[in-house]
Amino acid sequence: MKNRYYFIIVLSVLILFASCSESKKNAKTPQNYQQTTEWKFSKEIKLDNISPLGIVAQGKFLWLSDVDNNRIVKINNEGKIVEEHEGFQRPMHIAIDSFKVYIPEYISDTVKILENGKVSNFSLKEKPDGIGGISVKGNIVAIADFYNHRVILQKEDNTIIIGKEGHNDGELYYPTDVEIKNNLIYVGDAYNNRVQVFDFKGNYVRMIGWNEGIKVATGLKVTDTQVIVADFDGNRVLVYDLYGKLLQILIDKFNKPTDIEVVGNIMYVVNYKSNTVEVYKK
Amino acid sequence: MKTLLKTGIITLLTFAAFLLSIPNANAQSNNETDKTYIKIDVDGLSCPFCAYGLEKKLKKINTVSNIEIYLKEGIAVFSVSKNQKPTKDTLKKIVTDAGFTPSGIVFSDKPFALKDEK
Repeated sequence: MKNRYYFIIVLSVLILFASCSESKKNAKTPQNYQQTTEWKFSKEIKLDNISPLGIVAQGKFLWLSDVDNNRIVKINNEGKIVEEHEGFQRPMHIAIDSFKVYIPEYISDTVKILENGKVSNFSLKEKPDGIGGISVKGNIVAIADFYNHRVILQKEDNTIIIGKEGHNDGELYYPTDVEIKNNLIYVGDAYNNRVQVFDFKGNYVRMIGWNEGIKVATGLKVTDTQVIVADFDGNRVLVYDLYGKLLQILIDKFNKPTDIEVVGNIMYVVNYKSNTVEVYKK
Repeated sequence: MKTLLKTGIITLLTFAAFLLSIPNANAQSNNETDKTYIKIDVDGLSCPFCAYGLEKKLKKINTVSNIEIYLKEGIAVFSVSKNQKPTKDTLKKIVTDAGFTPSGIVFSDKPFALKDEK
C-alpha cells in the first residue's frame, strides 16, 4: 500500500516537472519569434537626381516613381538607372502585376500602364481627384482617391466605393496608398494617422496603428504576415502583424519615408527627402 | 563685281533679319508685361501629396503658367495673364480646396526672386 503511495507521489512530481519544463519552452517561443522576425538595417542606396515616392520590385530591379521629375525609373541594387520613362504627370504610389507597371498620375487623374517599354492607358470607370496610390491583383484594381477621401475598387465593370470623408471607423481622410491582399483592402489613411482594412464589399474590418501616434500614414506594404507602415512626418517605419499587433518600430534611417517594398527577406524603404532607399533584412 | 553683289546680298539679308527680329523682341517684352505674378504663402506644405495637390488645383486657373512649389518655404508662385487675374477670394478658395489655409497672397508685375530649394 505504502509503495503505491510512493509511486503516486513520484509520478506526480515527474508530471509536475515535465509540465514546468514544457511551459518554460512555451515561454521562450514569443521571444524567439520576435528575434527571427526582426528587420535589421543592411545598407543605403543613394539616388542621383531622383526624388522617389513609390516603389515596386521587378526581378532584381526596383521601379521608382520620380515625382519631382515627372518620370519612372528602374534602378539596380546600387541605385544606377537602367531604364527611364518621362512625361508622367506627378506619378505617385505605383503597382506591378504580371510584368505591367501601373502608374497613377496625380495631376491628370489617369492611370498609365508600362509594359515592355510601351505606355498605354488604363480605363477607369469612376473619376478620381488626385490618385495617391494604386494596387492591382488580376482584374481587381484599387485606387486611393486622395481629394475625394475614398477608395475606388474596380472589378471589370463593377465599381465599389469604399469610405467617405471623416474620422470614424470606416471613414477616410486624404488616403494616399492602398494594397489588396488576401481578399482585403489595406488603406494608408494618411491624415487620419492610421491604416484601415476593408473587405471587398467595402465593409470596415479593422484599424491598425492608432496607438503608436502615427503622424502621416503615407505608404504601406502588406506581406503574408506583416503590415508595414511608412510614417512620413514621424520619420519611422512601423511593423505590425496582420491583426495590428505592433512587432517593431524602425527609426534613425528615415527622412520623410513614403513607400515600402518587400521581396522575400529584404525590405526597401523609400526616403523622399534624402533621395535614398534604405535596405533592411531579416 | 561678283564680290560686290555678294556683299550687297549679305548686307540686305542681315538687315532683313534685323528688321524681323524687332517685332519678336517687342512681342516677348509685351508678353512679360502682360503677366501678373502671384505668390501664395501656405502652411503645412511638407508632403508631396500636399504640394502637388496645390499644383493640381492651381492649374485650373485660366492662363496660369510657370507654377513652382517651394516645399521648404511653403510658397507657391505662378503667373497669369493680366486680364485674367484671379481675385484674392478665388485664390483663397483654391488653396482651401487643396487642403490648406493661405497665410498670404501677393500680386506683382515682376517675377519673384526665390531660392532654388523646392
